[in-house]
Amino acid sequence: MADKNFLPRLSWAILITLLYLFLLAPIIIVFIISFDTRQYLAFPPESLSFGSYVKVFHNAKFVSAFWRSLAIGAVVGFVAVSAGMLLSLSLVRYRFRGRGAVNFLILAPFLVPHIVLAVGIMLVIAPIGLLDSYPGIVLAHLGITIPYTVRTITMSLTAVDARVEEAARVHGASPLMVFWRITLPLVRPGLVAGGVIAFLISFDEATISLFIVSVKASTLPTEIYHYLEHSTDPQIAALSVILILISVVVVIGVERLIGLRKAL
Amino acid sequence: MSAAPATGSPRSGGNSRALLLMLLLPGLAALMVTFLLPLIWLLRASFASDTTSAFGGGDVTLESYRAVLFDPFYWQVAWNTLVLGFNVAVPAVVLSYPIALFLTRTTSRFRGVLTALAVAPLLTSSVVRTYGWMVILGDRGVINSGLQALSLTGGPIRLSNNSLGATVALVEILMPYAILAMLSGFGRLNLQLEEAAAMLGANRLKVFTRIILPLSLPGVLTAALLVFVLAISSFVTPRLMGGGRVFVLGTEVFNEATVTLNWPLAAALSVMLLVLFSSIILLYQRALSALET
Amino acid sequence: MADHHVVIDQLVKTYPGAPKPSVDSVSFSLPRGEMLALLGPSGCGKTTILRMIAGLVDPTSGAIRIDGRDVSSIPVHKRNMGMIFQAYALFPHMTVAENISFGLEMRKVGRSEREERVLKALDLVKLTGLGGRKVSQLSGGQQQRAAIARSLVIEPELLLLDEPLSNLDAKLRDEMRDEIRDIQARTGVTAIFVTHDQDEALSMADRLAVMSAGRLEQIGTPREIFDRPQTQFVASFIGAGTFFKGKVVEPGLAMVEGLKPLRFTSHARLGSTVQLLIRPHRLVLATDAGQPNSFTGTVEHVVYRGQTLTLQVRCGDRLLQADLPTHAGVLPEKQSEVTLSVAAEDVTLVGEEAP
Repeated sequence: MADKNFLPRLSWAILITLLYLFLLAPIIIVFIISFDTRQYLAFPPESLSFGSYVKVFHNAKFVSAFWRSLAIGAVVGFVAVSAGMLLSLSLVRYRFRGRGAVNFLILAPFLVPHIVLAVGIMLVIAPIGLLDSYPGIVLAHLGITIPYTVRTITMSLTAVDARVEEAARVHGASPLMVFWRITLPLVRPGLVAGGVIAFLISFDEATISLFIVSVKASTLPTEIYHYLEHSTDPQIAALSVILILISVVVVIGVERLIGLRKAL
Repeated sequence: MSAAPATGSPRSGGNSRALLLMLLLPGLAALMVTFLLPLIWLLRASFASDTTSAFGGGDVTLESYRAVLFDPFYWQVAWNTLVLGFNVAVPAVVLSYPIALFLTRTTSRFRGVLTALAVAPLLTSSVVRTYGWMVILGDRGVINSGLQALSLTGGPIRLSNNSLGATVALVEILMPYAILAMLSGFGRLNLQLEEAAAMLGANRLKVFTRIILPLSLPGVLTAALLVFVLAISSFVTPRLMGGGRVFVLGTEVFNEATVTLNWPLAAALSVMLLVLFSSIILLYQRALSALET
Repeated sequence: MADHHVVIDQLVKTYPGAPKPSVDSVSFSLPRGEMLALLGPSGCGKTTILRMIAGLVDPTSGAIRIDGRDVSSIPVHKRNMGMIFQAYALFPHMTVAENISFGLEMRKVGRSEREERVLKALDLVKLTGLGGRKVSQLSGGQQQRAAIARSLVIEPELLLLDEPLSNLDAKLRDEMRDEIRDIQARTGVTAIFVTHDQDEALSMADRLAVMSAGRLEQIGTPREIFDRPQTQFVASFIGAGTFFKGKVVEPGLAMVEGLKPLRFTSHARLGSTVQLLIRPHRLVLATDAGQPNSFTGTVEHVVYRGQTLTLQVRCGDRLLQADLPTHAGVLPEKQSEVTLSVAAEDVTLVGEEAP
């Protein structure tokens, strides 16, 4: 029995391995290239070093864009989680006329191509002078991140046993106290997961950002994009590895908190 | 707006309604500004005659649409876009299917890790992954270096700076979406069904064609649709991988919006992309309901 | 009524859109320190009454008075009730001690007093030393104890228990039944508990309130409810038994169709139609088929239950259930003919219709 199944099983295993390799190829290659020392793109690397990383850390443009992206991502994460928490509370805890419409509005940004949204947002914020500004880019990223925070927080909130909140009320907690001491701690995994996903989407987002920012509020992905239009040297690889590592941390965090598949 | 909490009871209806409003307001305001208004502005701008101002400049005119519809270049661009979408969707679905099937059926204790590994690329920047493909497919990239080292080719083969490079990169970049869609669509598959079929005398091929394939078809269709619509609205990857030689709706929208600065034209192209996008989703829903009845 | 600790007065709850009230004009009262069971099938409104007393549901009309004061308008968190939920509803993110301490914190009790009272509460429910445990590290019985401690530590006006034993397995259930009874007796707290399990209600409560379809059917001691059910619902919901419809032909004698006349001791008017009940364990084996209140028939089913033998005996077109003690000498076998008899005082009158 085992012998008869051996060949099909082996070829199946090889096929799956190859597909995984294809899926992860760019990440693996970028990782290897990032240790190359040459000024230009070539493969395989002649000798390995941290030279590209050193160069990235000395590239003022990248460093400042990195900090800007971090700050923008943090603000987007915080605002998206706050708005998402309130929206989730109203959707999970209340039955009201127009609830379906609110639900649709929250999910709708999933249904519109980012590039279309990008042009629209650009047209809205240009006349009020928010192009290439921090408020502009934060606003632009909110629409595409709030659906994710609502999803993760709603998931956590639905899992909170209503009886536990009732128990707190019966035993003397005012509505505000129940929220602060019971509900909020219990949905914390959803809040954190939603926050880091929102942060990461903002941190990695290129399409919308390219329409909104140019110089003053440029983010790391937009800087990389503009750099790549002219050059593909290993500096970008080193920078990419840093971005990937940040993603890995977030992925592991989200997986631990609520499970990656449910969050995406 | 009438409000009633799902659990518990309000002390007074008025209070509860005010609270609900307070809960809804910040999020709805944010979505209004970043989603609803942009779509309305987009629509209005696409009918504007003044190409230099952002919004509401000049009269209402069909000029932008006329410019698009009577220019064979844009017909070519629209055609390129659909071809790209098709060329990306088919291989992406074909390559994702075994992975999704594997992840659904495996009993390995690494299943969680393997699932995370398959969908995690979603959370890495598409710019970074596009760069990875520039490294792999470039003239001095991994594949060309390998081929030359083995003396199989004299000079580099053109793998990037054309639509082939853009297609390959998009296939890989969009595969995690396809896998994710299939994983949720494969809920009805289970090992017991396959065992039951096998016990009733079906061989491996029969089990696949009669049980696995029909049950997984809706998931496959959803994955194909998702990849298709994401591909036709992409622009970063076609632009970087195409080296300015690939013209699709996404790249043209970006070009008009940020280089030429003809915003009404950019808006009109966006509206057309949105119409294309929506009609494909509608067609898909029709197809799916036809499949189910 | 005036000196009663808790008075429920004409309580009504009608949910919006519902055709009938869930709780229909229910009144009862409890003296201080009493344990009352609200018993009834699911959907009878017993849980709604408990939640209205707790303040989790607003009554449509009626009053809930504690020591003479109507508490209906006091918000839930200021009513000072203790409540044990069906699945305990312990706070999953807190330790056992933090759970118990929660109500005291809400009442702004000082830290040192809090700690002291938590320790005492842990002792009371025999969880001494387990205060630092996480809720998830406790067994079902221990969670139940922690929930009791959390409710009692605030010295509530009233302890409310919602199906407190339904989440425990059979053996633990008996243990916790005695435990809850014991703790309630020791603390002297007035308690109301909701259950659909008659054994639980009969063995734990001082008095039972039996409910059906939103209405209170009967309230009384376990013995009164069991031996003197006043309605057919109460009689059939609590305990098994066989009902007979008959016409009273002389005082204490009713003609029953297809059977010999039945003697009973309760008063019923001549000529009225009555419902009579005979509990299975009141039937005994008789030797003389001619004696009054006897039934002769064929044994159709025999189920051996250890201490008792349950028989289904066919008498004409009626099927009688009888529980005989297994030590009663020679036991009847299936298909054999037996004669059963019942004392006149064990024939219970549960309904009377005027002629």
